[in-house]
Amino acid sequence: MAVCIAVIAKENYPLYIRSVPTQNELKFHYTVHTSLDVVEEKISAVGKAMADQRELYLGLLYPTEDYKVYGYVTNSKVKFVIVVDSSNTSLRDNEIRSMFRKLHNSFTDVMCNPFYNPGDPIQSKAFDGIVSGMMVQPS
Amino acid sequence: MSVPDYMQCAEDHQTVLVVVQPVGIVPEDQFFKIYKRIASVSQVSIRDSQRLLYIRYRHHYLPENNEWGDFQTHRKVVGLIAVTTCGSSKEWPQTSERFHGQKEVYGSTLYDSRLLVFGLQGEIAEQQRTDVAFYLNFDECPDVEKRVEDFVESIFIVLESKRLDRATDKSGDKIPLLCVPFEKKDFVGLDTDSRHYKKRCQGRMRKHVGDLCLQAGMLQDALVHYHMAVELLRGVNDFLWLGAALEGLCSASVIFHYPGGTAGKTAGRKPNISQPADAGKRHRPGALTSNGISADTSTEIGRAKNCLSPEDIIEKYKEAISYYGKYKNAGVIELEACVKAVRVLAIQKRAMEASEFLQNAVYINLGQLSEEEKIQRYSILSELYDLIGFHRKSAFFKRVAAMQCVAPTIPEPGWRACYKLLLETLPGYSLSLDPKDFNKGTHRGWAAVQMRLLHELVYASRRMGNPGLSVRHLSFLLQTMLDFLSDQEKKEVTQSLENYTSKCPGGMEVITLPDGLKLPPVPFTKLPIVRSVKLLNLPVSLRPHKVKGLLGQNMSTASPFIYSPIIMHNRGEERCKKIDFQWVQGDVCEVQLMVYNPMPYELRVENMGLLTSGVEFESLPAALSLPAESGLYPVTLVGVPRTAGNITVNGYHTSVFGVTSDCLLESLPGVKTGGCLVEVIPSLPRLQLSTSLPRSAHTPQPMSKEELSSTVSVQLFNGETQQLTITLENIGTEDIETLELTSKTVTTKEKVFGEFLSWELEEALSHLPLKPGQSVTLTVNIKVKLDFSGQENLLQDLNDDGISVTGLPISSPLRQVLKPRAETKPVSSESGKGSPGGTLEAVLNFKYSGGAGKVEGYYRDLSLGVHVDVEPSVFFTRVSTLPATSTRQCHLLLDIFNSTEHELTVNAKNNQDLVLHASECQRMAIQVDKFDFESLPPPDQETVRFANPKQLEEERQHAQGSIILNHSHPSLRRHGEASVEGVLNQLVLEHLQLAPLQWDVVVNGKPCDCDVIADCKVGDAVTLEIKLTNLSKNAVGPFALTVVPYQDYQNGVQNYDLQDGVTFIGSNTFYIDAVKPKENSVCVGALLFLYTGDFYLNIKFQDDSAGRELPLAWFALPSVHIKAQDTPLQAGA
Repeated sequence: MAVCIAVIAKENYPLYIRSVPTQNELKFHYTVHTSLDVVEEKISAVGKAMADQRELYLGLLYPTEDYKVYGYVTNSKVKFVIVVDSSNTSLRDNEIRSMFRKLHNSFTDVMCNPFYNPGDPIQSKAFDGIVSGMMVQPS
Repeated sequence: MSVPDYMQCAEDHQTVLVVVQPVGIVPEDQFFKIYKRIASVSQVSIRDSQRLLYIRYRHHYLPENNEWGDFQTHRKVVGLIAVTTCGSSKEWPQTSERFHGQKEVYGSTLYDSRLLVFGLQGEIAEQQRTDVAFYLNFDECPDVEKRVEDFVESIFIVLESKRLDRATDKSGDKIPLLCVPFEKKDFVGLDTDSRHYKKRCQGRMRKHVGDLCLQAGMLQDALVHYHMAVELLRGVNDFLWLGAALEGLCSASVIFHYPGGTAGKTAGRKPNISQPADAGKRHRPGALTSNGISADTSTEIGRAKNCLSPEDIIEKYKEAISYYGKYKNAGVIELEACVKAVRVLAIQKRAMEASEFLQNAVYINLGQLSEEEKIQRYSILSELYDLIGFHRKSAFFKRVAAMQCVAPTIPEPGWRACYKLLLETLPGYSLSLDPKDFNKGTHRGWAAVQMRLLHELVYASRRMGNPGLSVRHLSFLLQTMLDFLSDQEKKEVTQSLENYTSKCPGGMEVITLPDGLKLPPVPFTKLPIVRSVKLLNLPVSLRPHKVKGLLGQNMSTASPFIYSPIIMHNRGEERCKKIDFQWVQGDVCEVQLMVYNPMPYELRVENMGLLTSGVEFESLPAALSLPAESGLYPVTLVGVPRTAGNITVNGYHTSVFGVTSDCLLESLPGVKTGGCLVEVIPSLPRLQLSTSLPRSAHTPQPMSKEELSSTVSVQLFNGETQQLTITLENIGTEDIETLELTSKTVTTKEKVFGEFLSWELEEALSHLPLKPGQSVTLTVNIKVKLDFSGQENLLQDLNDDGISVTGLPISSPLRQVLKPRAETKPVSSESGKGSPGGTLEAVLNFKYSGGAGKVEGYYRDLSLGVHVDVEPSVFFTRVSTLPATSTRQCHLLLDIFNSTEHELTVNAKNNQDLVLHASECQRMAIQVDKFDFESLPPPDQETVRFANPKQLEEERQHAQGSIILNHSHPSLRRHGEASVEGVLNQLVLEHLQLAPLQWDVVVNGKPCDCDVIADCKVGDAVTLEIKLTNLSKNAVGPFALTVVPYQDYQNGVQNYDLQDGVTFIGSNTFYIDAVKPKENSVCVGALLFLYTGDFYLNIKFQDDSAGRELPLAWFALPSVHIKAQDTPLQAGA
């Protein structure tokens, strides 16, 4: 399960970020922030012509010593980043994909809320609940 | 080999390494000057061979690294240039000794060496030596470059000979085993004759030859040798050297593919234009030379075959690095290979793969690194990430490097270096230190990490001992990250900001860092947030007005058209920017800001003032304290323009937490302003009013409160007159040169009689011009005269009293007793009291001007409201008339009601006083002359048609005004006048009107009227003449008049039976024919009285005309009273 889940706006600022060891949140901020380099690289590598058929799931962005960072970009260039513990080898690529899909659905619901102002930090409880379900339960 | 050279790149394999070192005492700056000149010779074209030799210079090189020279020959120091100073020939041997000592250090690998001696003169310097060059001083050494070139050529010769030596050494019987330092002990006791060993020797030698070929500029040969070496070494699983061979292959291919180099701009190679022969050689396969055909097709084909494709280069690099990775001691080699591969990938723009190489490089463990090496390593990682476009990652490592600079393990933390590195991370976090970038739109970048970075900058700059910088960074943090700071953080940040500013107040100056970076000032536009800026007009009393005539002129110059459908857009914009009111030089002008405090606690803003341009402006700063999370809060900033012209309000300045800010409106987002440009006109005087009457809060209805400078209020009884003394003081700085006074009565429902306000201005005008500080007084009379008529309910009161009275007042105590209703009356009078009373309001307008403003055609307007509460005094509850004895007079009966709570006395012009108690009603009779309306100038025929009724009415009113009663309030010592204007109804008026037919009765040639008693003697004939004068517009008549004599016994009995007493001589009836207008008719008769006594003549009137149109009153003839007396017979007898 994830240790950190982040939603990043088109303009590359965080809309939502949540991590499990809350005491070191800034570390995840840095991890997710630097992962944007790879995301951008991957998006630009696909090229303009292929943009339509582009796979939203970007796969593993980069592994660090402790974590694996996965990325997902919606067609509107909103990025989802999921950080999982490197030790968690049981997690398959498919499971990560489904997590992103769930996240995307929930995000769509947030955007559908007429009271939500696109670009504002996400404060939806429903979204929070979905994210909590995907996070590692603190033991 | 423990220290990696992070700057290495693939083409470095091509170079030969030359160490340039100072020997003895050499000033550092001089040495580096020489070093630079030497290093400028980075590539040398070798004569006759069309080959290029590349040289890499180092002024510091570890001998330990030199030991790896066999492994990769570009690591081998092949040349040494020593730089030394030598003062005298005595020192020469010592210097020479040192040079040799230096040579020993790299002795095993050196091909050649040179010594550059500066400062030595004399015999020794005269010697011609190839290895030593003598120069007088550091400035006079023109042929250093030439010397270096010669030196490089000599190196080339050695290199070439070595290459040829090794390359042709094909016998293979005794090939020495080349090895790296850590391998030496592994090969002890190994069977040197085994096939495996031989192959290993061959392979390694092949690789070595490849290196030499590459260095000597034989790219093609190098490729061939590397390929062979790879084959050989793969066979014997000599992984370290296999890696080296592969890397060599990669390097050679990179050199072929990317002649521009991979090191980036700093270490970029010189363009090859100077070597036209070389140009063809460096062309890509298949490319055409300037001749149209490749110089040597065979070599091209061979090269294309041997050379790796760009994709293969990366594959081989990967392979090589994986082989290196097998050896712990080859960490540096592996790391450098990674760096080289990344540079190649950066050129190929394959960022993802490059990042993988870098990721690998991060994990390469080089054992215990010193702090300095760590910093270097992180810095270079950052640079490489930057190279592949991973700016965030680059910033991350840069920041790690910065943190490393001040790690707690370092005894002397390098805060300066840390700060410098942190500054370099700014672009990676999309952070610029210019607050203007944050003004537009949404916040850019990742606030959490940006905040962290700013905090670190603040801390680093503080530790650097530069509080000015800390203040600037902290201000920036507060200004740009305000939305992201929690309440607690806001508190902390502002507290530390206040701490810093107590030592070093923040300002608006640009801070320039030693390395040239400029930190623009950070104005606190969010502390407080300004929502709107509005320039305020002057108070109404101080507003300048343009004299109308001049305004007209201006209008006509603006456009020749009164209306045009074509709107001039440019002019329209100009207009809307300029505000359509004026400020006056020398007067306090105001600008209203709506501000908002976003902080969770009280915000103290000090020294808040305006920033203006265009006109000299004296800003009067204000200090304010805004409560926590306040709503919109109005703040008025004031200032005084000192010169005339156009003034623009550009912004405002504040001082918050010890930081002064200049906030310009143009850079503020979301500020509403209705224009900032306003005209300042030359100074005008100022007038202050003070009045003798108390001020009040009443405002005349159509005027707003602002329009009046003040209002006076007074309470007056109806009919009372009050004097208002107005003192006008010049409180400005200019002389008052003109003064005008006008008044305007605010329309009310009440009908006002007479002039409400009246004054004499001449006396005041004689004091002009009024100097500053002087004052002048003016008296204004306030006269209130409203309707004095009473109401219905009051009228009834006396109506039932049938007594008709004549002449004198009829206030008998009996009446009061008989009328108990009078006691109950106050209840009803109370209810009806308010009606005749009311309020009167008027505005006095003072127009004045003077000084420079007058020249420009401006004046000022000062308004004084006058509010009068009119209390009812007396009412005329009922009015009636009684004919008087004379036809020219009549009695006006007025029922006067005292509606005040005080006793008052009423008197008409010649009557005696009538005392009225509170709420008492009494009748008063006044003898008045009848009015002769017709005697007023008759209107001519034309106007009669339209205005006659109206005009007549007015004339009547005018006449009525002359019936005036004075009422005085003895207890209040106040008195006033009451007039019957508006009280008299049509019927009463008719009675009061003097009939147009005027009857004159003359007895004995004596006009007889009313109470005049004509005397006559008994027995004498008395002539009676009746004259009718027609003053009406129509002809009247014919009439018949009959004279009837009678005696009045004064007891109600009248005796008409007087045939015995009075005899008519002639007829007692007169006939008057028609009398035309303006004409008269006279009838003459005679009477003879036979007895003495008082006789009355009643002249009766008979109208013969068919339709009687004229009112009866017109025909009221006076009665004649004749006293017949005895003839003085006794006297005669």
